[in-house]
Amino acid sequence: MTLNQSISDELLNSFVDNELESDEKSELLNAIRHDDTLKERVCELRGLKEMVQHAYREPPSCIASPLMKSAHWKHSCIQQNIGRLAACLLLLMLGWWSGWIMSAKSHLANNPREMSVFQAAQSNNVAEKPNNFIVNVSSSNPARLKTALDETENLLEANKRADQPFKVEIVANGGGVNLLRSDVSPFAKRIATMRIKYPNFDYIACKVSISKLQKNGVNVHLLPHTGIVSSAAEEINKRLIQGWDYVRI
Amino acid sequence: MKILSLLCGADSFQKQFEAIRPNLYRVAYSWSHNAALADDLVQEALVKALKNTGQLRDPALFNGWVFTILANCWRDHFRQHREMDDIDELDDHLCSTQNTPEDDHSLSQVVTCVRAAVARLPIGQRQVLTLVDLEGFPYIEVASILAIPIGTVMSRLSRARQELKVLLNELAPQQTAHVSHLRRVI
Repeated sequence: MTLNQSISDELLNSFVDNELESDEKSELLNAIRHDDTLKERVCELRGLKEMVQHAYREPPSCIASPLMKSAHWKHSCIQQNIGRLAACLLLLMLGWWSGWIMSAKSHLANNPREMSVFQAAQSNNVAEKPNNFIVNVSSSNPARLKTALDETENLLEANKRADQPFKVEIVANGGGVNLLRSDVSPFAKRIATMRIKYPNFDYIACKVSISKLQKNGVNVHLLPHTGIVSSAAEEINKRLIQGWDYVRI
Repeated sequence: MKILSLLCGADSFQKQFEAIRPNLYRVAYSWSHNAALADDLVQEALVKALKNTGQLRDPALFNGWVFTILANCWRDHFRQHREMDDIDELDDHLCSTQNTPEDDHSLSQVVTCVRAAVARLPIGQRQVLTLVDLEGFPYIEVASILAIPIGTVMSRLSRARQELKVLLNELAPQQTAHVSHLRRVI
């Protein structure tokens, strides 16, 4: 058995990836010096490593950056910064409290009406403009379709209870179009009921996805009152720009 | 002081997340070869990481921790979309078995050729190869990120490079050599 054959690929890979201890490395370097085939194998491995690094140095960028501004992302950032917000709030409160102590204490005590007006103004500000929601479903998995409807219904129900007139729109693309196909959808009846129950609920199918299905010989029949948009991505982008919240199922 | 450290801590975390995003995207792209999907995976991984920053006890382990989350997101994606990957959305040249003239031309470029070869590797090998080669993770850390034994990391890497060598030879443009020999007519 030659030296070249006795050295495994795993060992050579470890050498190339700088995973060997110095003793092992010295032994292997010595072996490489005396064996041209071994040298060739190491060069080949190094070359492959270089090529992989070169191939992904600049991967193609994704254009869908507006989705970064999705409600989900914003929500998580807010969650992450809760501690920070709490700290700021604490500092503000400390400042306000010390100012309040330093100021003429009797001023507010003598003018209780001022305080109540201030509190009323604060409570008025709480009534913020409600957000509309766009729910995107792109999977044909029935569990996901059900989740999309559950989420939508939860939003609509909360909306109804709070008596806030925000809109909820389901945009189906890819496999998600199955949700709105009258011959395939397992939830046709439920969608019809929801439409009657909630006048602020709309559902839209992506034309690109429908065209793809038709190209594959599928006859697409949509549920009554289903809207069609030229592209789901465009619709989502449009809504995000309009300030809607985006929910991806 | 605690308030100040809280403020500084949040800041440094944000910087770390911003800095690691391109690396995550590069690796996610090398796994999926689909820019939109890679972007989605990175976003999902970052959202999960942001939600669970409390779980990270040692800040030195930040990179490995975030890549572990990315690997989990990728695995979840695979489970959910196993039977319904939209082939139309994948890069055409990676799925096509018949090479068009345009493909042949682009394959002559090293980058396209290597990406196409990496895309044809089994996913387990692809993950190990890219984590080692692109991010320079030590084997032990790759084992931890992918939740596999270190021996498996070594064998997958070895097989990946052998396979890659073969694929690169296959994908390299063949020299058809239609050499027109000038013959004497008269």
